[in-house]
Amino acid sequence: MAGAVVFCASSFLARSGTADLNLQAQLVWGTNKEKPDDPKLKEVDRSVAEKLRKVFKWKNYFEVNRQQFTVPVGSSKRIKMSDDCEIEVQNLGNSSIEVKLYGKGKLAVRKTQKISPSELLVLAGDDKDDTAWFVVLSQLAK
Amino acid sequence: MINHETELKLQAYLDGELSPGEAKTVADLLRRDAGAQALYQELRIAKSLLAENELDRKLPESREFYWSKIRRQIEREESTLADGLTEPAAFRWWTRFLAPAGVLAGLAILVAVTLRSPNGGGTILALDDSHEIETPLEETSSFSFRSEAAAMTVVWVDSHRE
Repeated sequence: MAGAVVFCASSFLARSGTADLNLQAQLVWGTNKEKPDDPKLKEVDRSVAEKLRKVFKWKNYFEVNRQQFTVPVGSSKRIKMSDDCEIEVQNLGNSSIEVKLYGKGKLAVRKTQKISPSELLVLAGDDKDDTAWFVVLSQLAK
Repeated sequence: MINHETELKLQAYLDGELSPGEAKTVADLLRRDAGAQALYQELRIAKSLLAENELDRKLPESREFYWSKIRRQIEREESTLADGLTEPAAFRWWTRFLAPAGVLAGLAILVAVTLRSPNGGGTILALDDSHEIETPLEETSSFSFRSEAAAMTVVWVDSHRE
């Protein structure tokens, strides 16, 4: 019996999250209009665009910025996505993260969430002229 | 505090699915209840930003065949459950062993959870799967939803832009 308890406890301990998280954040702009004449804007990866189209009403999605970064367990990283938009990601362990979104330096939203390579966490909001912005956070496969 | 039934009524009101009498009741509620009004606004925004209001699913077979498969599956699971209730005495011996082992395993989990590091990092065991959301700015609100189809969790930040 004691062996069973030790086995259970050790297997749970082994699963405790101690891994660094390799993450990617994309700042995306969604619109129903055609691509503006701005060389900084790129087409979003097809898989991400398709997922966004499944959920949101906008037809076209353009990448404004992309950042890849690693967050060790128990620490956090602040990433500048644009002049007005920053995110801060804290690795809580066990594939859980806390994401803070800052708009013009002010904390706009804080979210705690599990993350996995097959999942996207999207922070989004409306913008002028019936467009929208998206911060698409994903875990990079090892 | 809005109960679940009222939430459903608000959704139905938004979708225009209520009778005139029910619609009037909900309209009255919206005039006097700030919580209901806030939820209605969230639902309205969510409806306006989603790609499709209703997912149109086409069945790969006839409706009757599709539902008969579901009925057969339910019947099969009920039958398996009934069989499980009449297991022979040998199985019950195992349950006498597994029950205390389960209790001890539960205790082990409890101890591990209690030993969680207070600073949040270096967690010994994280069973907490809570998904918290907080919007500190007064001029913004937010809500979160998940799309299984897109494997995506969305946090929509509404800056009350008109």
